[in-house]
Amino acid sequence: MNKEFTAVGKRITQKDVVLKATGEAIFVPDVKLQGQLWGKILHSKYAHAKFTIDKTRALALPGVVCVITYEDTPKIPYCRSFRDMPMTASGQLQHSDEFILADKARFVGDPIAAVAAVDEKTAEAAIELLEADVKYEVLPFVIDPRDALKPGAPVIHDYSPNNNPVNSTPPPWLAIGDLEKGFAESDLVVEDNFYCSRQIQSHLETQSCCATVDSNNKITVYSPNQLAHPFRRELGKMFNHPVGKINVVTPYVGGSFGCRLSCHTEPICVMLALKTRKPVKLVNSKEEDFTTIDARTPHYLHAKLGLKKDGTLHAMELNVTTWGGGYVSRAMLAGGIMLIWGLGHYRCPNMNGSCKLAYTNTPLGGAMRGFGNPEVMWGIDQLMDRACVELGLDPVEMTLKNTKHAGETCNTGLPIESTYIDDCINEGAKAIGWKEKRGKNKGGTKTLKRGVGMSTMTHCSGAWPLLLEHSGAIIKFNEDGSANLIINPGSPGTHIYGSLSQVAAEVLGISVDDIYVVAGETEKTLFDLGSHASRSMYVTGHAVRIAAEEARKELLAYAAKMLAETPDDLDIKDGQVFVKANPGKKISVAKVSATAIYGARGDGHTISGKGCFVPHHNSPPTAAYFAEVEVDTETGVTKVLNFVSAVDCGKAINPMTVEGQCEGGVQQGLGYGLTEDYVFNPATGATATGNFTTYKIPGAPDMPLETKIIIIDKPDPKGPFGAKGVGEPGLVGIAPAIMNAIHDAVGVRVTDLPIKPEAILKALKEKASK
Amino acid sequence: MKKEILNFKVNGTPYEIEVEPQMTLNEVLREQLNLTGTKISCAEGECGACTVLVDGKPELSCSMLALAARDKDITTIEGLAKDGELHKIQKGFIEKGAIQCGFCSPGMMLMIKALLDENPNPTKEEITAYIAGNLCRCTGYVKIIDAAKAAAEA
Ligand code: FES
Ligand code: FES
Repeated sequence: MNKEFTAVGKRITQKDVVLKATGEAIFVPDVKLQGQLWGKILHSKYAHAKFTIDKTRALALPGVVCVITYEDTPKIPYCRSFRDMPMTASGQLQHSDEFILADKARFVGDPIAAVAAVDEKTAEAAIELLEADVKYEVLPFVIDPRDALKPGAPVIHDYSPNNNPVNSTPPPWLAIGDLEKGFAESDLVVEDNFYCSRQIQSHLETQSCCATVDSNNKITVYSPNQLAHPFRRELGKMFNHPVGKINVVTPYVGGSFGCRLSCHTEPICVMLALKTRKPVKLVNSKEEDFTTIDARTPHYLHAKLGLKKDGTLHAMELNVTTWGGGYVSRAMLAGGIMLIWGLGHYRCPNMNGSCKLAYTNTPLGGAMRGFGNPEVMWGIDQLMDRACVELGLDPVEMTLKNTKHAGETCNTGLPIESTYIDDCINEGAKAIGWKEKRGKNKGGTKTLKRGVGMSTMTHCSGAWPLLLEHSGAIIKFNEDGSANLIINPGSPGTHIYGSLSQVAAEVLGISVDDIYVVAGETEKTLFDLGSHASRSMYVTGHAVRIAAEEARKELLAYAAKMLAETPDDLDIKDGQVFVKANPGKKISVAKVSATAIYGARGDGHTISGKGCFVPHHNSPPTAAYFAEVEVDTETGVTKVLNFVSAVDCGKAINPMTVEGQCEGGVQQGLGYGLTEDYVFNPATGATATGNFTTYKIPGAPDMPLETKIIIIDKPDPKGPFGAKGVGEPGLVGIAPAIMNAIHDAVGVRVTDLPIKPEAILKALKEKASK
Repeated sequence: MKKEILNFKVNGTPYEIEVEPQMTLNEVLREQLNLTGTKISCAEGECGACTVLVDGKPELSCSMLALAARDKDITTIEGLAKDGELHKIQKGFIEKGAIQCGFCSPGMMLMIKALLDENPNPTKEEITAYIAGNLCRCTGYVKIIDAAKAAAEA
């Protein structure tokens, strides 16, 4: 593919962004259906309790149409993040351990009843009545996973008497060598305990759903989920309903970041619609989001590294205790994937690890952008930095010694197709001014100290071979020469429709303006796993490429008949099919397509193509992150002055989109590192930080003064047009880069996220007293 | 609850509607007038997603009673484009890639409109400070600030 690209690599704005700029874009909370009722959920007040609910008063309230509790549900256990995503590596399924409404409350916020009423206010009034009419039998509860795993801890699920539903070990390609020997042979061993905090995705559009059931028993669900097709399947199982009679509609989605891998309001909303036979809309308040959704799974991580004098990594051990929550959901995979990212990143001959998952009486651990990677690198790259300091080496130099290269075994066990991590490190270091600034307090004062720090990572492009992978796409030509691209990867704001349109346009030889995306309904699209694991560009991208190649073939075959040429002698550019040897002989794509559809040749058909794709490879995106900070030694407050993310995401199909993903990643990573502090009240198990005032995500003034994104932009041999994933890499190494910069500035570290000013002050005091 | 009459203008159109006194401006815009371009997120004055202009000044529609808008001129995102021509702020946001999920964007663009009306040539620092109360979880604000600058220069 040496020819110059016409669509790929261009800074193009996805068409429907205009609708978001004018307010026309419809999000689920904006959906209004004829005769729609409002749903509301009653959440448990207690962290662990049995209960009975008297519905009489709520039902008698004028305007209340129905009240449901556990007794009214189908009682088919389900997994809110879809049990039917088999882990292809182990064949293990996720646990189905919850019901649409709880049989026993397992965390503060667990849904225990729901109502449907004529309007929102009536629904709220009914919830208040119900709230007063619940009789709780409060049970002992446990918040911290380390306590939950102790003998005698309250039992949360009868089937799991030790609160330990699953343990994970690293896959065989990452459990290698001999740990004991490896540490014995090391010149330096560094280890520490880290807390990887519960980060809330904090998308602005709250969890919401609209559901309706028609007289043919067809269920239509408007849901802002990330995995529409698997979600439809789970709904079918949960309600014992044929999937052909379920259509999941995903309109515009106000941010996902992993949260929408789980269904939160949808099962309850569908249940209410089935009971009332009316459309029901259910929109969470932001507080409900904060207190009930599956956030980034928290962990306690013990990490231990052994290094040779020259800085080569020789042994690594990671032991994780995972904070599961009242049901397991994605937390079931969270610890295991941490081991995969952590052990898979650097080259190291002796490695092993373990992970224990604990049920706790808290909201669930789920997935958030990076899923385990920011967590594990928070520990590993702090220890790497510490080792550099102790060995008297430069982190840039030392990291370069340990990075893996193409052909070595990647985190997924497959060979690394391409990696330009060394370019990321070198270019990032240059951009931050590493040589001039490291260890020099450059530009700082006695009390405002400056420093620089770095971190790196390897991620994935899709989940193959760890999880199911599969996407499909259809292209069909219209008689004006434009084409519909029919896909369903989900679009939570990543501009994936635009990037996929660029792929289609490039193959078809037409303008990206002439590609119209049809998406967002399971019944109109081929199966697409959805948006997670930085997979859409890589996997759906290939499906689109194949569909476009097929459509192109059909187009050329038909054009060849019209031009009395052979298809191989033809090419397409700027919407014109032309004879390669005689470019003056040409016909427009519009004419070919219109003739195929309406022409009177007796061979009428729609020129189209279909592509389904399962990658049997996984090209890892890599990145290096550099922070320059200023720490106020009197207040402990850290200001990030400059941040550089250098990413290797293969060929950037749309550099503007790649920058946008990485810039947003900096905001989320900076919040993870410095400001976002999720706290439970230990006395009750309730969330103590249930709003944006107490749980602080960075605003514009909290951002680095300068953020620079460097795109390495070298094509990968296996990605579509050389692209790899880029959705998650944006935030992975931000927090450890900031911490390492703080250490460079003031010589102290903290191991618990987020890095709080008081913890820095305390560490400074301890250091001074030594 | 007894309803009251509310007279106000929204995007230049005069309205006379009945509202319940406790209703917020956000509820009236979204539920009664179907202007769902105005978003709602925290509903507590913490995120800025619900920002509209009231007599040209930015207000949080989730925290303002509808009746407080009596005789006022409200601009929502639906009122930014004129005669089918996008406003320069909308163009800036579209061209610079400042819109990702788009949920903060209506509030953010109206905030920038208020800023540019007050200060047609703001510096990066002034833009940053002005949008401090408008949270965005997608963009890192970088391209939003670029878009505001581009709109100022347009
Ligand atoms: S919804 Fe009004 S400030 Fe958040
Ligand atoms: S674009 Fe998604 S919140 Fe700003």
